[in-house]
Amino acid sequence: MSQTLIRLALGDFWDRVRRPAYAVILIAAVGLGYVATPAKEAGWVVMQIGTYRGTYNSAYIGMVVALAGTVWLSLGGFYVVRNAISRDESTGVGRLLAAMPLRTWAYLLAKFLSSVLVLSSMLGVLAVTAVVMQLARAESMTVNPVELLSPFIVIALPLMAFTAAAALLFEAIPLLRAGLGNILWFFIWAFIAIGGQSPNAPLGGIGVHSVVRSLAADMKAQGIDPQQVGEFSLGLTVVDKPLKTFIWHGFDLSPGFLLGRYALVAIALALALLPVLWFPRFDPARAGALAASGADPGSAPEGAATPAPVMWEDRRSTQARSAGFTTMPQASVHYGNPALRLLLGEVRILIQGTPRWWWAGVLLLTVVAQMVTPATGVTRILLPLAWIWPVLIWSRLGTQRHEYGVEAILGAYPSARIRVAAEWAAGFVLTAVAGIGPALRMCTGSDTQGLVHWLCGALFIPSFALVLGTLSRTHRLFPFAYLPLWYATVNGIAPVDFMGAIRTGNGSPAGMPPAFVLLSAAVMLGIVFLSSAARRVTARI
Amino acid sequence: MLELIDITKDYRGGKRAVDGMTMRLETGMLGLLGPNGAGKSSLMRIASTVTRPTSGQVLFHGKDVVAKPDVLRRTLGYLPQDFGVYPNLTSREFLSYLAAAKGLSARSARARIDELLELVNLTEAVKRPLGKYSGGMLRRVGIAQALLADPKVIIVDEPTAGLDPEERVRFRNLLSDLAADRVVMLSTHIVSDVESVASDIAVMAGGRLLRRGSPEDLLAAVEGRVWEVLVDPADLPAIQKGQIVSRMIRTSSGVRVRLLTHVPPYATAQRVEPDLEDAYLAIVNHATQAVPSAVSAGQKGWQ
Repeated sequence: MSQTLIRLALGDFWDRVRRPAYAVILIAAVGLGYVATPAKEAGWVVMQIGTYRGTYNSAYIGMVVALAGTVWLSLGGFYVVRNAISRDESTGVGRLLAAMPLRTWAYLLAKFLSSVLVLSSMLGVLAVTAVVMQLARAESMTVNPVELLSPFIVIALPLMAFTAAAALLFEAIPLLRAGLGNILWFFIWAFIAIGGQSPNAPLGGIGVHSVVRSLAADMKAQGIDPQQVGEFSLGLTVVDKPLKTFIWHGFDLSPGFLLGRYALVAIALALALLPVLWFPRFDPARAGALAASGADPGSAPEGAATPAPVMWEDRRSTQARSAGFTTMPQASVHYGNPALRLLLGEVRILIQGTPRWWWAGVLLLTVVAQMVTPATGVTRILLPLAWIWPVLIWSRLGTQRHEYGVEAILGAYPSARIRVAAEWAAGFVLTAVAGIGPALRMCTGSDTQGLVHWLCGALFIPSFALVLGTLSRTHRLFPFAYLPLWYATVNGIAPVDFMGAIRTGNGSPAGMPPAFVLLSAAVMLGIVFLSSAARRVTARI
Repeated sequence: MLELIDITKDYRGGKRAVDGMTMRLETGMLGLLGPNGAGKSSLMRIASTVTRPTSGQVLFHGKDVVAKPDVLRRTLGYLPQDFGVYPNLTSREFLSYLAAAKGLSARSARARIDELLELVNLTEAVKRPLGKYSGGMLRRVGIAQALLADPKVIIVDEPTAGLDPEERVRFRNLLSDLAADRVVMLSTHIVSDVESVASDIAVMAGGRLLRRGSPEDLLAAVEGRVWEVLVDPADLPAIQKGQIVSRMIRTSSGVRVRLLTHVPPYATAQRVEPDLEDAYLAIVNHATQAVPSAVSAGQKGWQ
């Protein structure tokens, strides 16, 4: 059985790493390693203790890169590996495996191991980047592999296992297998990444607190009072002047610390195997009901350009009469201006399958926006709420004709540019409808500046979604990119506020200037048209 | 009307799918035959402006449609081998969107869609989302969209996949009717799909055009080279290894084998009339050069 597991896991792993997207992921990992180890004169840091950081020796550089990986790969990596089951579903491999004498737990375990392998390979790239960066920064030229690698193994790897297990579990739960799961993970991740640094976090959290204690001990030993220099910070932070350095020699792994890490791996294993209780083994009869109950506004197939097999075939379809093909159409063909009908079609395509509760949510937000006082509550709370509500629907922009395989037909249709414009306009209509409540309130409150920012936001969001969807051809990238931007806005970081949610003392919008938001939207739209044209020229449909 | 001139298509990795194909298509039906991987679908995609050729020209009424594809796209009906649909739209909504993409007026689109849904017999299923359709019903939606704008050029790639036997016959007849005043290009690897309706057949393999002509021309090439003989089932492996076997029927007295060869393979072999499948196999396998090796000429068949 162990050989079967290894072969299944490796087969799945090779299938994933041979996809072009994997190269992009590895490049991103190298980029993360670079960002985590800035030069002295750089204006940012990823880990600091007040005004200090460690000298870039193997222990410190290994730790800082591993912690950056722990925090960011547990977010990005989740979206990378959360197609383990859906790929087997869309390619039909799942049904082949289901007909084999393969136990469900073995299948799930192999998928879990494959996802851990993918995430581990990203950690491996980060570790190599850490070595290169240590030599490039040249603050210590002695490479100690044990000190450099141990943070990757004892801190980052357990969390990658947890991430892989969560991704598998989410895929196996119909309600979470699509966009809703993507959003939920963002908030779970935020909770783990922030709460996991607390000294009171169960199982040692993400393992940072022990590191902080060790860093503080070495600082004290070097005559620096960690209480005086400021707080420990993990995350991209802008610094005004270069940080001072101290030497950190690494930390001793206590049995308690290791036990916490092992426990995390054990929990991950249990989570990965939990779906054994209900996993339908690609049986349409069992999965149909589950899939139907789990429909969410972002549901979309996993990347198959060919039509998805008709798995949930309605019984009535077999009763459909066969085609006559006898009466030739007689109606003559006339051409006209199809712009409005194209827009209507694109709106239909964009909102297809959106459940009623979603529209009820829009209606509720619209009504509540007219009642909330003061008006700043509308812009500060309800506007961000209104513009997170459609995130799964926006994520369809630029992706659906590829993900559903309709491109095979549309490739031979005229007016490709007009279709792209209509798709963007459909996105704008959706954004405007979702945000109509706050906009109406701004109108009644004569908040002209707010309205201008609102309009810019309504132009910005569909452009952002369309550019990411067009370039990546997957609905998974947009929520991943939009959520941090939205989250930062909600948390009052004015420089990234694109919707006019954050106000100054006198009530005027404090966010990005409207001209900048408009320019960004225009640039993104330009990229959409250019990349669409380039695709048509290179005929890579 | 539609000309493909010295078309070559190379994919990334160096695979050459189409190799110097030149074809001129006029009113009527061209049946494009070839084994899987022959390059038929690549050629169809190039002819329908979906894929750009690596080199060569595609001309429609003398205009270069590689540079300006919309010239052809407005009057083209294309049914690809594999395609998807938006699963939550109904067939009418989907066709309405495609009609708008074609540029049809609202009134014209409505009338055409009504007639086409009737033609493909989907009027009863018109309110159901496409995600609930069977494979055959989706294929019919594909056929309907190909006929939306009353196309002057119809390019259909393996169009009968998913249709039931009756539908296949009727669809072939429909294509035959359409070919009366249109260019119809039909690609398939099923010989029976073209033999009854195509007046012009092209056989391709390895990205190249092997032979083009009327069914009679193709049959003439294998005239006198098709034999039938009853053999011992035990001899089958040797026969299949050495000769082109176009058909086998097991009977209580042995296996009746249909062979393609220049000379009588057995003393008891009977020469039979070739059909298009024999001609196709002969062309693809270079049967005209095939020399029997495993079973010598004159050897007795199983009596």
